[in-house]
Amino acid sequence: MTARVDAPLKVTGQARYGADHWFPDMTYGYLVLSTIAHGRIEAMDVTSAKNAPGVIAVYTPFDPLVLHKPSTFLGETWVPLQDREVAYYGQPIGVVIAETFEQARDAAMLVDATYEVLPAVTSMSEGMATAEDPPPSRFGSQSALELLADGVASIEDAIAASPVVVEATYSTAPQNHAAMEPHSAIATWENGVLTVYSGNQASNLQADELAGALAVDGDRVRAVNPFVGGAFGGKGRTSAPAFLAAAASRALGRPVKAALTREQVFTATAGRASTVQKLTLGADKNGILIAVRHDSWCSTAMDRSFVEPTGQGTSGQYYTTPNLSLSQKIVPLNLPPTTFMRAPGEAPGSFALESAMDELAVALDVDPIELRLRNASTAPIGKDLQWSSKHLDECFRIGADRFGWSERTPGGRTDGDWLVGMGTASALFPAGRFPASVELTLRADGTAVVSTSGADPGTGLLTVLAQVSGESLDIATDRVTPRLGHSTYPAGGFSAGSTGTASAGTAVMVAAAQVIDDLLGLATAPGAPFEGVEASYEGGAVVGGGRTMPFGELLHALGRESLTATGTSAPGEEVTKHSFGSFGAQFCEVRVHRWTREARVTRMLGVFDAGRIINEKTARGQIAGGMIWGVSAALHEALEFEESGRLANGDFAGYLVPVNADIPNVDVEFVHHPDTLHNALGAKGVGEVGIVGMAAAVANAVYNATGIRVRHIPITIEDLLID
Amino acid sequence: MRQFELTAPTTVDDALATRGTFLAGGTTLVDLMKLDVLTPQQVLDINGLPLRGIDTSDGLRFGALERMADIAAHPGVYPVVSRALLLSASQQLRNMASIGGNLLQRTRCTYFRDVAMPCNRRDPGSGCPAITGANRMHAVLGTSEHCVATHASDVAVALVALDAEITLVSEDGERVVALADFYRLPGETPEVENDLRPGELITEVRVPRLDWASRSTYVKVRDRQSYEFALCSAAVALDVQDGQITDARVAAGGVATVPWRLRAVEEALRGKPVTLASFEDAAAEATEGVKPLAHNAFKGSLLKRTIIRALLELTEGELR
Ligand SMILES: Cc1cc2nc3c(=O)[nH]c(=O)nc-3n(C[C@H](O)[C@H](O)[C@H](O)COP(=O)(O)OP(=O)(O)OC[C@H]3O[C@@H](n4cnc5c(N)ncnc54)[C@H](O)[C@@H]3O)c2cc1C
Repeated sequence: MTARVDAPLKVTGQARYGADHWFPDMTYGYLVLSTIAHGRIEAMDVTSAKNAPGVIAVYTPFDPLVLHKPSTFLGETWVPLQDREVAYYGQPIGVVIAETFEQARDAAMLVDATYEVLPAVTSMSEGMATAEDPPPSRFGSQSALELLADGVASIEDAIAASPVVVEATYSTAPQNHAAMEPHSAIATWENGVLTVYSGNQASNLQADELAGALAVDGDRVRAVNPFVGGAFGGKGRTSAPAFLAAAASRALGRPVKAALTREQVFTATAGRASTVQKLTLGADKNGILIAVRHDSWCSTAMDRSFVEPTGQGTSGQYYTTPNLSLSQKIVPLNLPPTTFMRAPGEAPGSFALESAMDELAVALDVDPIELRLRNASTAPIGKDLQWSSKHLDECFRIGADRFGWSERTPGGRTDGDWLVGMGTASALFPAGRFPASVELTLRADGTAVVSTSGADPGTGLLTVLAQVSGESLDIATDRVTPRLGHSTYPAGGFSAGSTGTASAGTAVMVAAAQVIDDLLGLATAPGAPFEGVEASYEGGAVVGGGRTMPFGELLHALGRESLTATGTSAPGEEVTKHSFGSFGAQFCEVRVHRWTREARVTRMLGVFDAGRIINEKTARGQIAGGMIWGVSAALHEALEFEESGRLANGDFAGYLVPVNADIPNVDVEFVHHPDTLHNALGAKGVGEVGIVGMAAAVANAVYNATGIRVRHIPITIEDLLID
Repeated sequence: MRQFELTAPTTVDDALATRGTFLAGGTTLVDLMKLDVLTPQQVLDINGLPLRGIDTSDGLRFGALERMADIAAHPGVYPVVSRALLLSASQQLRNMASIGGNLLQRTRCTYFRDVAMPCNRRDPGSGCPAITGANRMHAVLGTSEHCVATHASDVAVALVALDAEITLVSEDGERVVALADFYRLPGETPEVENDLRPGELITEVRVPRLDWASRSTYVKVRDRQSYEFALCSAAVALDVQDGQITDARVAAGGVATVPWRLRAVEEALRGKPVTLASFEDAAAEATEGVKPLAHNAFKGSLLKRTIIRALLELTEGELR
């Protein structure tokens, strides 16, 4: 297993993240946030802030930095300070720039905003009454779907005709990504060129957004993010501090550093929506599904900028059914915005569907694995395009064996004063690719360099780039220097949608083929060492006519320092032939104390079919991280908003994530089936599928242990107290 | 954080002669200074004072500056005390935090910690948003209409169960106060958390000898396995002879505005056989006076269960 190439830098503290940079003459920005959930700012008194020691400037909607809403393939991105409307508590409404961080912060406390306060809707239960249809999806996904078998008049009829029916409503809590690195940026302008150091999920995307926001040409903006301290969907769009730092730096002619405090991260960025989902499953006596109905509601910000679609990626894909009805509504709330978060839609959706499947297994008295395998889909429901490669049954077989599933009894077991239960769930995450370009350079010193703009927010993409390049060039990985996280590199490697490896990896293969071709062309050209010889490329060398010349030597002989080629790859014909996904079987054991009712996960296992695994170590890291987050969603994490819209637990003292003591060994296994129908590399995605089944597996284990079915997450002690 | 002046007296007399806020491990003080909740102008680092020593020869005696980690690891410290310490905070914090500072740590009520919000404890008369707000973590015992914040210390619960006393010195001299009397219910004056007088220094913590406290434990129930405050906790010591409970000490944390001694539970245990029924009957006494809030009604039930669990753990293999 190849270790992460950036691990030594990271563990020795030498990796420089965005906010680690420093420039002479640097100034510091501190954001001011709103303290009401809905209304209009009537005035902002900045006199004392402006007079405070060290203050250079105070920007507000009354004295704004001009920013335009940039538009990319993600749609429009909100920029701060452009109007006086307040749509949530904790919204950026100002920024103070000072000579030191402390001065900026102290002055920010002196800014006094007065508001015209308007009524706010801050709870899902209140907002459900006025739920709306979602805006049309930018990504072409369908949020409502109805499929009925011949002769069936309605989904209600299909359900009514089902011998066994389970129906329940599930809900999931809103979350924040809580990445270790807070959203932050350092911006400098030099000769009309902006350079921004800020963690994000694709440096080229950030550069595009900043160029749009500042109305400058794209070639005048550089986004630099070789290291990113966690993103998870929360750094896809450019953050408020990055927009403000860039604009303030332009206005002031000095470098500006702006970082959110941990508390500010919880509201001044975006998180995961709350969801409510009503599930109805109708089956025959053998557990074969007859009807599936999945009605979903998700919270969204007042600008309706994001939909968390919970039915489509789950009930629309997991299980074959002749009758299917999906609906999606949005509930606009005066709460911080929502956005992508690890398996957006699939994670909360799967909690509902996979809990309902467990309820159906109980109702039928069928083994939960057996029930899932009997209904496993061969294609997304209602689609003709079959899964290119799906080995979920193998995942379940291996997983059940390894986990000791046969020892599970319907009522769980006890161990002293602990009630012990096992739960399972399946997981699915679509496999896709984004267009990607990669530059590959062979150098006369015998090394190679691979570059693409993207980002490695801890996924391991940097290491994978080196590995795939080494493999494609038939040289050792350590002869390849991978470079990521600079918007001047060819655009590729967007760390989103679990696409990084498949997208950039296939582009590397194209670039490698090209550079080898070019190398052979040079080698056999008139006057070159292999002139007139049938030459080929092998083991990093050109071979022919009884000679072998490593590419470095050859470039040397040709008087060249290097040879570069660019490879581009994008989704193509394959999407007209098959459907693609990563699949998993997830297991966990939960203990609940007989008296005090804490639920603790004591074992967990996930077996995944994710195509070819390029690097077991980083792939496991991705899956284990996802599984741990699933435990967190199941037992810990929830943003708690008060009626006023104020977040009651916006720090790490109140917003609980698991600590080491909550996480036993995480057992991860892969079945290795390269999916070359999807792409030449055979890789699918591992970034998100690990979280997908986990929350339901935990809830199902809790049920197995206690007989209590909790239909919301997180599950806390009071849910399991029976008196 | 505001600017402040830091000095480091090396004798108790010097420390008492200078007006200022004492800094021990700093894990409460610096935290609250960063949040602007505490804004001392003069900070006195007392770590150079000779307030050290752990003595277990006759009861327990700790110098106020002894670290939580050192006390927890010391042989001869009653299990209920060392367990309460080990289940507190994290190893890093326990290495820094002193026993004296621990007893004076402030509530974790999120409204107290957010200066943008009113809080009667921080800003008397400004109101208590917790009573109608996010109050799942809050107290159900010893509350008033002005404050429902819990006392957050774990070890204080164990110490109150064991009748601990603290020694306080000021320029006026030295006094010894029972820890249970030191803490104040919020009542009409939630800003007065304890009996500490201005400039007064805790020098020592003492626990009277109680040999049967070798059978004692601290059960802490919380939302995650480590590094979190108690939803409910129980400190219990039990004296059992021939299957009969001859004496007991019981106190609870996480449910009350001060470390909560449960004498009625102790009384109900005395003279009873070691049976689950005795435990359940006694635990029922714990909820006398419980006043639940909107989000913490479960704490009454949890309190009883936590006490029963602690009693069961102390009598494993002896239950009849
Ligand atoms: C993240 C986190 C988690 C925590 N979890 C827990 C937990 O689970 N359980 C728990 O019980 N505690 C917990 N704590 C609280 C921790 O135990 C206390 O912060 C710590 O014990 C305070 O001791 P200190 O020496 O650091 O006090 P300091 O912060 O130095 O002082 C605290 C206060 O006491 C005063 N003071 C200190 N020493 C003296 C003295 N000798 N005489 C007079 N006044 C004095 C100071 O002026 C200050 O007002 C946690 C704290 C943090 C930050």
